[in-house]
Amino acid sequence: MVNLTIDNTQVTVAKDATIFDAAKSVGIKIPILCHDKKLHPFGGCRMCLVEVEQMKGRLIPACTTPVTEGMIVRTTTDEIVKARKLVLELLLLKHPLDCPVCDAAGDCDLQNLTYEYKVNCNQFSDEKFNHAIDYENPLIERDMNRCIHCGKCARICDEIVSYGAYTFINRGIEAKMGTPFDGPLSCEFCGSCISVCPVGALISRPFKFKARWWALNKVKSVCSYCGTGCQLTLGVKDNKVLTTVYDENQGFHNGQLCTRGRFAYQFVNSDNRLTTPLIKKNGKFVEAGWDEALKLVSEKLGAAKGSVGALTTAHLTNEELFLFEKLFRGTLGSDNIDHSAGYAHAALTEGAQKAFGTVTSPSEIADIQKTNLLLVIKTDAYETHPVLGFEINLGVKRQGVSLRIVSDKKGKISRLPGAKTSVHKPGTEIAFVNALANVIIAENLAVAGVAGLDQLKAALADYTPEKVAAVTGVAAEEIVALAKEYAAAEKALIMLPIGLGYPGHDAALAQAVANLAILTGRIGKEGSGLLIMGEKNNSQGAADLGIYPKNGGLKGAAIIDGAANGQVKALFIAGENPVVSYPNRKKVEAALEKAEFVVVSDLFLTETAQFADVVLPAVSFAEKNGTFTSVGRRVQQINKAVKPAGLAKSDFEILNDLNAALSGKRYGNVAEVFGEIAATVPAYQGLTLSGLGDEGAVLPVAPAAKLNAVAAPAVPAAAGKLALVTGSALYHSGTLSRFGEGPMYVCGDAYAELSEADAKALKIEEGDAITVKSDVGSVSLKAKVGKRLPAGVVFAPYHFADASINTVTDGAAVTLVTVGK
Amino acid sequence: MIMPLIKGLQITLSHLFKKPVTLQYPDERPQIAPGFRGLHALKVSHENAKCVACYLCPTVCPAKCITVEAGEDANHNKFAAKYEIDMLRCIFCGYCVEACPVDALKMTEEFELANYKRADFTFTKDRLLEKK
Repeated sequence: MVNLTIDNTQVTVAKDATIFDAAKSVGIKIPILCHDKKLHPFGGCRMCLVEVEQMKGRLIPACTTPVTEGMIVRTTTDEIVKARKLVLELLLLKHPLDCPVCDAAGDCDLQNLTYEYKVNCNQFSDEKFNHAIDYENPLIERDMNRCIHCGKCARICDEIVSYGAYTFINRGIEAKMGTPFDGPLSCEFCGSCISVCPVGALISRPFKFKARWWALNKVKSVCSYCGTGCQLTLGVKDNKVLTTVYDENQGFHNGQLCTRGRFAYQFVNSDNRLTTPLIKKNGKFVEAGWDEALKLVSEKLGAAKGSVGALTTAHLTNEELFLFEKLFRGTLGSDNIDHSAGYAHAALTEGAQKAFGTVTSPSEIADIQKTNLLLVIKTDAYETHPVLGFEINLGVKRQGVSLRIVSDKKGKISRLPGAKTSVHKPGTEIAFVNALANVIIAENLAVAGVAGLDQLKAALADYTPEKVAAVTGVAAEEIVALAKEYAAAEKALIMLPIGLGYPGHDAALAQAVANLAILTGRIGKEGSGLLIMGEKNNSQGAADLGIYPKNGGLKGAAIIDGAANGQVKALFIAGENPVVSYPNRKKVEAALEKAEFVVVSDLFLTETAQFADVVLPAVSFAEKNGTFTSVGRRVQQINKAVKPAGLAKSDFEILNDLNAALSGKRYGNVAEVFGEIAATVPAYQGLTLSGLGDEGAVLPVAPAAKLNAVAAPAVPAAAGKLALVTGSALYHSGTLSRFGEGPMYVCGDAYAELSEADAKALKIEEGDAITVKSDVGSVSLKAKVGKRLPAGVVFAPYHFADASINTVTDGAAVTLVTVGK
Repeated sequence: MIMPLIKGLQITLSHLFKKPVTLQYPDERPQIAPGFRGLHALKVSHENAKCVACYLCPTVCPAKCITVEAGEDANHNKFAAKYEIDMLRCIFCGYCVEACPVDALKMTEEFELANYKRADFTFTKDRLLEKK
């Protein structure tokens, strides 16, 4: 620690702190334009100049000067104020004074400082810039005339997002922030650059001219897309969510968001929202009142009792899921309850359950940056959880984490410094991981005294590197080297994304990777272990609250089958869209068509809701209170920001009403149910809603590690056929992001990605319409040709309703397809 | 006792011979003082309203009677797609004129704002545009 004096205040800070950090720690504000707490110091704007007693004679930039013992710093003297005024005058020389039409006004660092330092005239005069403004991009509008050259956009894109879309081009007065070859912006559209821009040079186009910053009501919430659990601040005006507001102090991610978090909020106020209950009469939906609709639903559910099937989405809050379980398992006595098609949560509910005796993964998000070696299963970890991807970027680039990836294709994280990707044949993950375990045991790298080691050794005897090399297509030496590296690392963390797009990431794979962590004694240690990344914002909560069959009930896909064969008499679907996201669309559609009684509660009249007998309008995360449990077991609160659309009710109210109508208990409010969760679910013990605060709470976990040998499934192969693997597109999450406008601007159509070799062989070019055909069906998609795929592999995201990929898949990890024009 | 009464009647009497101050409105029209704050008008320049929809007037308005909605025109410039003043709420303080950074708003000498229907007191952009 270092002691210094700033403006007569004694400050003690760590020795790697800068004067700026030290001043901030005691609440002394030093004005700055080119700094964000997530970025490396830059020293570009010269606003943070301070006077240091020991370095008299010149002014020192506070943001790049490290503190030294006994330093005496003054942050505001006449000389400093004069210097800062000069800096502002020079900036305003080129900066257009178009504050009345600039969306940044009110939240503009330059405007605020100009006001604070009373810069009302300029001793210099010059022409303004005359750069062309990029109006073409649907999400990010770039007006480089307003740019003050702080470089924050380029640095955040490079340091955290690791994309590098911007750089300074030209020199001197000609310098400007440009894109490669000064062309249009083509990036991940995460909007991080907009969030850090101190002026209005980069603005959000969907929010352009919608409202002034000061008129927005800022409501803290949690993103409702993926399982990362990013905190959001919603900008609300006139009962509408108009934008997301950047707050660098929010969450583990410091306000950093991805495309869908930042630009896909529009579904909340979409004109297509359901506003009234609908009842199907003579094949047509007729608007109905809540009383009529709920009466009909409760009658049918009451009649079906134990043969009710219930599917929910993991987008619901913990409290809603609790009521869901109470209603269907408790009041109605049916065990046919599930979510995420039954397979997308199995890694937690079956895999982690068997390996650790708990349905959660033993590690948390903070471990990513504390580890020495990250083993990521599938590069898609970045696509499903982009902000965890940023954590990987930061870990690799700042903390020197070695990144090893086991994947069926390369991806963005494969390009990180020092990253090694072992590209295996699709569907051979378990064989690969088993081989790693085999090597660890064979080389005596396993920690001594692990229970069940001998059984595992015997069970994995067949998974020698040589044999597995033949199956996976990865050289035996590479497998051995990876196993040794993993075992040798002091701390090692495995990341396993799960979701509807990855049927292969099931309980068996979770157990296989858990074996690696257990063998090497990584469980329960900081920066080590296994992080299973649930797909949806509350996947972890759904697992915790037991939203899966526990006593031999039907699983997700089986519930759909049950609806077709009469085993399930009434089907309740809360927010799930099986027609698009569950395997085999034709089968799901036929089942819903045949089903006796289907109720859907959702925000929109989805493809699934079309088949319903009763449709109940539900509300989005912005219209209700509650809690979500994210990856790494963090429970966080969401706050109601806007009133429900039309007559829509939250699933909390719907389920509560139904439960009461079926003579179950009626709960008072969200806090009461949270109290009930805290009392009945062991992990949530002792939590209170008010005690969660802004930061939320990380649930405790006590894993009882146990080795379980799993056998690798046989991978189908056929000559002349390509292996189709599904997954997530970077801009989308589940089927909900289709209703958020942002992602649809940049990724609006279903596509299939082919390797260059296959595309060449099939004479397919980027953008061609192609037909993908399997035993199940065929679908016409847009072709994309990518360098990242190995020959023989086709990738397709699953989010889209038109030409949905589940038309050709049937729940297998790999689907053999033929591709043609 | 009698003296104050006589004094009072004296004033009354003197007024009988003075020119009356009452204006025979509407036959006679008042002389409007400079700086009078009457009905608002949106100034026009190059055949378009000067207003750039900066929202400063609704922000500063103490009566919350101004509603602005910004739009983006063909040249990507900001303009007021909607500009409405609820005259029933307006207190004619003139802060809106003072706040306007582009001198797009003024207050005219028009004070005859009586009307028959509540809706007629909502002055839309068309009605507010300066008449030349």
